[in-house]
Amino acid sequence: MVDLSPHARVAFAVLWIATQAALIGTASRRSDHIFGFRMFPEASTLEIVVSRMTAQGPAPAPLGEWAARDKEGQLRHFSWRDRVHDPILRSLDTRVFASYGVDTQLARLQVALDDVADHIDGDDETRWLRADVRVWKNGRDPYTATLLSHPRVSR
Amino acid sequence: MRDAIARWRDELGDTYVLGVVRVAFGVLLFANALRAARELQDGYFGDVFHWPLLPENLVPSREVYGTIVAVQVLLSALVVAGHRARGALFASAVLGAYVMFCDRLQFHHNRWALFCYSFLLAFAPCDRSFTVGTVVPATRVGPMWAARLAALQVSIVYVASGGSKLCDPDWRGGRVLYERVALYGQNAIDAGVPEWFMHWLGQTDTTSMLAKMAIATELALAFGLWSRHARILCLWWGLWFHITIEGTSRVEGFTWLTLAAYALFCTPDVGARKLYYDKTRFRGRVYAHAVALLDWFARFEIRPWTPDGIERGHTIVAIRRDGVHVTGIHALAMVVRCTPLLFPLWGPIALATMFAKPPLSRGEADDGVV
Repeated sequence: MVDLSPHARVAFAVLWIATQAALIGTASRRSDHIFGFRMFPEASTLEIVVSRMTAQGPAPAPLGEWAARDKEGQLRHFSWRDRVHDPILRSLDTRVFASYGVDTQLARLQVALDDVADHIDGDDETRWLRADVRVWKNGRDPYTATLLSHPRVSR
Repeated sequence: MRDAIARWRDELGDTYVLGVVRVAFGVLLFANALRAARELQDGYFGDVFHWPLLPENLVPSREVYGTIVAVQVLLSALVVAGHRARGALFASAVLGAYVMFCDRLQFHHNRWALFCYSFLLAFAPCDRSFTVGTVVPATRVGPMWAARLAALQVSIVYVASGGSKLCDPDWRGGRVLYERVALYGQNAIDAGVPEWFMHWLGQTDTTSMLAKMAIATELALAFGLWSRHARILCLWWGLWFHITIEGTSRVEGFTWLTLAAYALFCTPDVGARKLYYDKTRFRGRVYAHAVALLDWFARFEIRPWTPDGIERGHTIVAIRRDGVHVTGIHALAMVVRCTPLLFPLWGPIALATMFAKPPLSRGEADDGVV
């Protein structure tokens, strides 16, 4: 490793501290607050229920499992968990602890919905995915947040 | 201010303790790489839902990622062994951060903190002690600026964590802690924690008080660790603070990482304290051997001495930095203060010394006598 000259040490330290300050100061602006060192930010819980929207209307997907026909009319099975392995986001229809807070989990869930919607090739029925999330923020009375995936392009 | 910056920039010190910190970071990097390897066996994150900060085309393929994990294991071994350790620390930090940027679902504070500390330590001469199979420079004395910057990172973490809690009314008021106890209290009872204790812990008044204590602790540690007088108390308090967290929450390696980083606050010298023992006594030899084993930071110069007539002679006599000779509980307090494994006991022992007979002064005994 290169040993920095005295002047470079000062510049390095200023840059390091400024970077950390910027990352911590702007953590609120990132949906999952990463790099903010906000330890144990909440004690919230949530329950995610995934469903899908089809031409015939909403259709449930209990435990993230559903069957849909492909272009040839063949019935195929799909599972949320085939694509989503995150221990919180894969736990559907059950109340789980929202690690790193509700904002973080909702932000991740939104990206997961879009991701799954992009990766269910062979499902010719689902127009978009929907997640109804029952949220108990720090033990308060629950409220429900609804997230939608982006519409599936080919539908 | 200019003088303070110049002192920090030009400070030289014995880098012995930095070797200990490097080994600890290396072990944590190794554990982190092993975790990644285990997760890879279950499946590659890029094949399933992931959330990159970088453009998707910069996310490695399964094969490349497998190589990265293997390299991380190798680098962590180099860090522990002290062979090309600074380069290995640097590369470990960069690779670890890169993987995190490839999937922010893998972000955890402890991992990010580990990469930050490793990156900074790479700029410190941490490869001059605890090395295997490498030639070390003749002197261990080297520049301390990067080690001080890594120590500052400890304070940055505390300020960010304590500050965010202070700004959050739910945290300040104790609601977050109350709910955590409500959610996990039964687990603690099942694990053997007395029910009455959990009941007390689950009171709103208690959680409100504890929340304020936690915030005050984090903010006090951030600044107190830099005070020469408050440092030892802060280190002890912080140690128990983190042990408590470790016992009640899942924080991966964060406890051990922070405790390892605490060593960066050690005064950069070795053998500044002396421990003399009576080699004619079995107990003296045992104590000296035990201290030598536990003295990871080389705080003591340990030597046998010829028994003297002071109070029928002492098995152990320690000499503090200020030259004061101490025996009995004062010597014990000094030993536990300086040895990481015994340090948790320092608080009550130091308190007990306040009620004990004062230590011997330099006038009562000197190096020649003991």
